[in-house]
Parts: sequence; structure tokens; C-alpha cells
Amino acid sequence: MKNSSLNSRTHDLLGSVLGVSALVLLIFSPWLVDTTGPDPFYKGPLVFPLITLGLILAGSVPSLIRLARPGDALWYLDGQGKPFRAARVLGCLVLYLGGLVIFGLEISTLVFLAVALKLVGQDSRAKLILVPLLVTVILTVIFKYSLGIWFPEPLVMQIFME
Amino acid sequence: MFAHMMDGFYAAFSMANLIALVFGSFVGIVVGILPGLGPMVGMVVLLPFSFSFAPDIALSLLLGVFCGGYFGGAIPAVLLRTPGVPSSIVTSFDGYPLTQKGEAQAGLSAALLGSFGGGIISVMILMFLAPVLAHVAASFGPPEYFTVALFGVVLVVMAFRSQLGRGIMLLGLGFWFSTVGIDGTTLSERFVFGTLVMQNGLDIVPICLGLFGIGQTLILVEQSIMKTDHIHLSRSTLDFSQLWAALKYWKTLIRSGVIGTFVGLLPGTGSILASFMAYDTAKRLSPEKERFGHGTPEGCIASEAGNNAVPAGAMIPLLTLGIPGDALSAVLLGVFTINGIYPGPLLLVKEPVLISTLYFSMLLINVAAFAMLMIWLRPFAMIVKVPGRLLAVVIMVISMVGIYAVNTRLFDAGVAIAMGVLGYILLRMGWPVVTLVMGVVLGEIMENRLRQTLSLGEGSFMILFQRPICLVLLALTLLTIAVPLIRDVQKKTAA
Repeated sequence: MKNSSLNSRTHDLLGSVLGVSALVLLIFSPWLVDTTGPDPFYKGPLVFPLITLGLILAGSVPSLIRLARPGDALWYLDGQGKPFRAARVLGCLVLYLGGLVIFGLEISTLVFLAVALKLVGQDSRAKLILVPLLVTVILTVIFKYSLGIWFPEPLVMQIFME
Repeated sequence: MFAHMMDGFYAAFSMANLIALVFGSFVGIVVGILPGLGPMVGMVVLLPFSFSFAPDIALSLLLGVFCGGYFGGAIPAVLLRTPGVPSSIVTSFDGYPLTQKGEAQAGLSAALLGSFGGGIISVMILMFLAPVLAHVAASFGPPEYFTVALFGVVLVVMAFRSQLGRGIMLLGLGFWFSTVGIDGTTLSERFVFGTLVMQNGLDIVPICLGLFGIGQTLILVEQSIMKTDHIHLSRSTLDFSQLWAALKYWKTLIRSGVIGTFVGLLPGTGSILASFMAYDTAKRLSPEKERFGHGTPEGCIASEAGNNAVPAGAMIPLLTLGIPGDALSAVLLGVFTINGIYPGPLLLVKEPVLISTLYFSMLLINVAAFAMLMIWLRPFAMIVKVPGRLLAVVIMVISMVGIYAVNTRLFDAGVAIAMGVLGYILLRMGWPVVTLVMGVVLGEIMENRLRQTLSLGEGSFMILFQRPICLVLLALTLLTIAVPLIRDVQKKTAA
């Protein structure tokens, strides 16, 4: 049995998911694209999406066939282990986005960096305190004060103000 | 013509442009030195910042990262046998044996001289070749542009022909991403799923930043920390005498620069092929070919001159035809189009000062990167000691805030996270992500050209067969598809 990416069911599954999604979008595209304009089909907004979805579907055919007839193929990613650490950091990143709305830029950045650094094993006291502080200060100065970017007022602040 | 060149010269030497290119080169060297990051991550992280600058300054900043990355990649390749950028692996063939012999300075001097020389030679070729190609392309109409773009994407997809289905799928996915939102021509809604936020479409910036900025750093958090205890450099600057000694390989330097430029101008070929071809040619033509692989400065010069000539080489089809040859130049194309500048033959006529500024900026970037590494060699080399995971987490947070700052929309940050997940999966699986980026960047351009072509042909594709340039390009496209596939089948049959 081969443990290679070219003979992996994981790759075929991803290809098939993309292919099936494209097929669903292709079927429903006349309803998902507004074609009420006066332009003929070849000038209209639907022609290119149909071609692109057709390309995805065509490219996925080998994956769909291999997934249906797996032969000696295995569920194999890349031999570099399961992505637990990346998944945890990614989870933090999603929470960080929510944190920007609830707690604002400074607190969310500080907490995200501290937690993420701990998760990736960079947990010496100096790194856990200095790096988040430094990065938060730099980001706040650059984005809020130098570039004047507007950040949503933290929901927590609104509650306290009330 | 001369007046435009002079205007470009002065614009390149303006304080803002100099700061941008020096800062860009600095960031490029840093991300190039750090294995696992590379110039792409540096470029996409700086992308949101670049929108607050004038186009020429934004391009100098990003080109600085692009070129600086290749300079930096040579350092860990020579000192640790760990290439900072993939193409520097060839530099390690001779650079690391030199380090083992206690001649790290000779290896680094040769590699940096190669990078510098390759960069300068390629910009010279760009300055000469771009107007010639633009002149040829000046008679192009929408059908010609469409077939050129088609030829370009086919070249890129065929470069990954061992994963042909995946390449086509990702190209299609990239094209599809470009169709989401309000259609610019008819103002019709497309795939917005009844939401308001989707009406603005999926921006190029969060897609690129997600795929490479977040995707690549998620990979980095899983990689083990490099063992870097054995970096020993005899001096903190580059040794001038070694630099002088490396100059005796000037013929190799020029030849490799030319090879790198011409490999770079072909879409989909990339810097690794340029490095290998330059190295192989140098080895075959060298009177000391037995020293190759055992530590010769000539090998380092050839490899680095080859890969550092690629950025300027890739600019030739980008500026004259609007076709990016790789993911890095696709991001540059994104910067052009976001600023309302559409690369193509008319760009050289419409924006001669911008183009001249670009040429001089590229020359200056090579000088700046070389000078910085010459003076601060040891401090730069020590960057490899910074833990990759720490950097990954910091880059993630900068990417998220940066992406929000472009349009002050949290939706874009959400798109970047979703693309980060996709990028992480695709990069780990080794799928050709470059075709996805090509699709996103070229999608709108190709769609417009296609619709204009069909309008001219009143709905028929036959117009493509009535125009000689289109016919030649279609024939070339067919050959690009057929020849490698036939060869593959013949090889399989023979085996």
C-alpha cells in the first residue's frame, strides 16, 4: 500500500467536496445570479460563473472516481501528524475576532497573544508578558493613532456606560 | 522618453520611495531568512498597509519584500543547509560545504554577489524587453488579451501537471471567488445568498492574506523549532576580499542572471527551476566542475543569480500583458488593479513615469538589500534564532488587524480566517495554491475580456479563429497542453 499524497483518500475527499459543491452551485446558479437585465446571455453575468463552476467540476472528476473506487488508497494527509495545535490556535483566532467587537482591540490582542503563545509552547514569563504588551502597543499606535483606523466601540464599554 | 526616464529616476530617489524600498527590502530579508515564512508572507502582511500609499511607493514596498526575500533566503542555506526560500536549496549544495570547511564568508560573499548581480542584470533586461513586448502587444484587442490570459493560466496549470485535476479545480475556484458580489458590468447580484455583506464581493486582499499569511503561519505553529546553535561567523560584516575573489566568476554571474530572467518571464516556471538551470549550466561550463557539490563559490553565485533574476523576469509579462507568472507577481497585479492601473501594453504609454520609477526602484532595491546584508550580516543571520512559533502568532494578529483596517469590515477578517483554513489544508496537502491565487487575481480581467470577445463575435467563439494572433496563441495553448501529456503517456508506456 502506498502512503503518498497521490494515492490518498483524504485528497480525493477534498476534491470531491469541491466538485459536489460546484455541481450544487451550478444547478442553482440561475437562481443565485440575477439575470433579469437586458443583456443577452453571452454578455450577461451568468456566463463566466457557469464556466468557472464547470472547471471545478471537471477538475474534480478524477477525485470523485477515485473516492468511489478507492483501491489500496489510505486516509492519509501528509505524514506530519494531526493538526491539533493549529486547530487550537485557529480557535483562538476566531475568538479574537469576536473579542474585537466585545472587548476592543487592546484587550483582545493582549489576551489572544498571551493564550496563543502559551498554546504554541512559547511560555517563558518574559515572552508571555513582554511580547503581548509590545505588540499590542505597536498595533494600537500604528492603526488607531497613526493611520486613524476606526475600531468598533467595545460592547463591554457600552454596558458600563449605560 | 528621456524626460519620463528622468522623472522616474527622481521619483525613485524621493524620500518616501527610498524609505518604502529600504523598509520593504529589510522585511524581505527577514522573512527570507526565516525558513517557513518567505517573501509571500511578508508581502501579504504588508499589503493592507500599502493601500495608504501612492501606487509607486506601494509597489516599491512590496517589490522590496519580493526581491529582499531572495537575498535573505541564501543566508540560512549557506550557514545551516536550510533554505529560507525554496529556490535557495540549490545554494546550499555548495554554500553549506563551504561553511563546514570554515569558509562561510566565501559562500555568503558569493551568494550575495550572485543575488545582487542577478537582480541588476534582470532589471536591465526588463528595461529593454518590456517596451519591445509592449509594442508587439499594442495592436491587441479583447480577443487577443483573452487568449494571452488563457495561455498564461494554461502554462501555470500545466506546470503542476502531476496534479492537473487539482490545478484546474483551484483555478476554477479562484475564478468563482472573483464572481461573488455585484457584477461590475451589469450591476447584478451574484452568489450573495441574500446577504448584504457579500454584495461587496470577496476582496483579493483577505483571500491572499488568508491563504498565505494565516495558512502559512498555521503550518509554522506545528513545525519544530530549528536547531541553530552552531552559527559562527568570523566577522559581523561581509568580507570585502572574499567579495573581490568571487568576482572572478563574472561570466557565470552574467549567464545565470540571463537564464533566471528568461525562466522568470515564463508563467508557472518559478525560481526553483531558474536556480537549478543556472546551477546546472554553470556546472557544465565550468573548468572546475568537479568542485561543484563539494563547496565552490561559483555554485553559490550561479544559483543565487538565477533565483534573484526571477522577480524582474516575472515583471515582463506582468507589465506588458497583465499576466502574472507566479503567486508573488499575482499579488503585485492585485496592487496595480486596486489602484485602478491595469497592466498591459498601454501601461507603458499611459504611465511611463510609474514604469520608470519601478525600474529604478528595482535597481535600488538590489543595492539596498545587498548593502544591508553586507553591513549587518551577523545581526541578520541571528534572526534564524527567533522562534518560528512566536513569529507565527504575532504575524497572525498583525494580519487580522491589517485586513480589518483596509475596509474597516470585520467580514473581511472572517474571510481571511476562512481562507486561512483553506490555505492551511491546501499547503499541507501540497496542492498548487498558486493556481487559486491566479484565478482570483485574473478572474475579473478574464471575465471582462471574455464578455467583450463574445460581444464582438455576437455570441460566437469563432471570432478567436478569425484573428491571426489569437490563432497562434490558441495553437501554442494547445501545444502546451498536448506535448507534456503525450510525453507523459510515452514515458508510462516505455516504463
